[in-house]
Amino acid sequence: MLRVEHLTKIYPNGTVALKDVSFEVPDGEFLVVIGLSGSGKSTLLRCINRLIEPTEGKIYWNDVDITAASPAQLRQIRRQIGMIFQQFNLVRRSKVITNVLAGRLGYVNPWLSLLGIWPAEERRRALAALERVGIADKAYERADALSGGQQQRVGIARALMQEPRLILADEPVASLDPVLAHSILQYLEELNKEGVTVICSLHFLDLVHRYATRVIALKQGVKVFEGKPQEIDRQRFKEIYGEEAQEVRAASL
Amino acid sequence: MQAMPALQRITRSALLIALVIVVLGFSWRATGIDLPRLLRDLPKGATLVRAFLTPDLFTREVETSVIGVDFPVPCGSAPQGVPPTNGPRLLPSVGCAAPGETFTLMGKEFPASSEILVRWLLPDGRTLNAVRVRTDAQGAFTATLQARPILTTQDGKSARLEAEIQRPVGGLKPSQALRDVAREMFVTIFMALLSTTIATLIAAPLSFLAASNITRRGCLGSGVYYLSRSFFNIIRAYDPLVMATIFAFWLGYGPFAGVLALTVVTIASLGKLFSEVVENIDPGPLEALQACGANRLQTVRYAVVPQIVPDFISFIIYHWDINVRISTIIGYVGGGGIGFYLSQRINGFEYNQAGTALWAIVIVVWLMDFLSAEVRKRVV
Repeated sequence: MLRVEHLTKIYPNGTVALKDVSFEVPDGEFLVVIGLSGSGKSTLLRCINRLIEPTEGKIYWNDVDITAASPAQLRQIRRQIGMIFQQFNLVRRSKVITNVLAGRLGYVNPWLSLLGIWPAEERRRALAALERVGIADKAYERADALSGGQQQRVGIARALMQEPRLILADEPVASLDPVLAHSILQYLEELNKEGVTVICSLHFLDLVHRYATRVIALKQGVKVFEGKPQEIDRQRFKEIYGEEAQEVRAASL
Repeated sequence: MQAMPALQRITRSALLIALVIVVLGFSWRATGIDLPRLLRDLPKGATLVRAFLTPDLFTREVETSVIGVDFPVPCGSAPQGVPPTNGPRLLPSVGCAAPGETFTLMGKEFPASSEILVRWLLPDGRTLNAVRVRTDAQGAFTATLQARPILTTQDGKSARLEAEIQRPVGGLKPSQALRDVAREMFVTIFMALLSTTIATLIAAPLSFLAASNITRRGCLGSGVYYLSRSFFNIIRAYDPLVMATIFAFWLGYGPFAGVLALTVVTIASLGKLFSEVVENIDPGPLEALQACGANRLQTVRYAVVPQIVPDFISFIIYHWDINVRISTIIGYVGGGGIGFYLSQRINGFEYNQAGTALWAIVIVVWLMDFLSAEVRKRVV
């Protein structure tokens, strides 16, 4: 259970990215965050694992206050929270398997990991994770030799290494060809069905309808909608995205 | 804004041009430019250039033998020498002479077209150079000599006329200068290698402290960041030559002072370059690994290091190349190595040997330049 209470983020330059946002995510939910670019979706996701420090408000993960955690506690919490990025955030020059193993850094002996020594068990785990996303044959290639869709699957494999209880996905398909969107989101859906809570920001409304169990919408840092995906009709859509917005369906591309 | 009247604009340009001309004229005089002298002293320059263009590279080992004939002064004071009838021999026109008398000396069957030193072996065992002659194509020469009073026979022992023959034996051998230059060149290359290595070991960790994206977090981080950054900037203000002068004064002339001077200068330069490389990395992987629960060191090891290694290697090799070049110069002010050798040869007017050193520098610098470019092309 994730509980966000009165979360506010004001950047040093004065930009108010989030304003008094509160919501709860029960275990096993697939929560989709929608909103225009700059509406605060990325800030919200990064406040949850404190890649960005919230200005005000509290975030509880299974009743542990993330916002008050010490650096060591924070690492303990972070390693249970997988994160998937729009730009994949792989080390492009490193091998695929090294990128995947890095997801395990929060668990392994820090000194051995600094020497680049990984137990055989962890290597097997990494290959299994790559197997699961269907690119085990690319394990020893350089990450930048892979296509965008394959790179994002490496990103998912890296998150799998964390044995996550929660996955934060920041526009995981926005940098990909729309036809690849389902192939990526299906992995998240699969994990969700195994009991992992997913919080994912998305752009395409039909993807929202297809995958979300619940939706929240942000507009200029303020939560303007929370409810079932079916409740977002054309009217709501215009409210969230503004009058000029035109819905684009991924399926039509 | 109103447009300036044309007259005012022209006046202003004219004044500006006049000012530039005055300043340039002043610098001309201040630096003592003397073009006629450039031509007048051309022979001096030409001598130097000729010496540099004929570096001392090889020598032939020579066998020296001495041919001599007894020559009593005055006549009758001792038995006259009898020259051999064949082989290299000295044939004075008279068998003996009174002090002050001149005579002709002929030499036969000496090595053709070579230089022969004719000298007197005095009765007391000392030598006195008489004349330096050049043999003709048949190996013969003639010279006019004077029997000087110092040659007077003592205790029945007469003076002796001698000629030294030098006959090359064996093949060409590297000259002393070439061997010295090779040794000093190695010292220089190793100076550069050692100082670059030490500097890398120190600059690499420091560069992370001077990279804003790694260090500049919180009060302590900012403090460390500004401290290490100013450290690099302050050292960078000192030229390698100044640094070498200080260390040579402190530790005496030699490669040790040179290595230290180069190391300090390289730390500052590499530290600054490294920290800029670290600042320009893609922050995405850092964010991703932080999100995984990796600690600061792990993040550096897995997200930063792979991104910076090629650039680091490229800069290290480039600096080795630069350091070879600089160490030739700092040797000149006492840093040891080839530069020191060069300064000693030039101060001792041994220009051919200096030429050997100059050629070695040109070749090594060119080679390093080429090698570093090749390696860097491959790494990046």
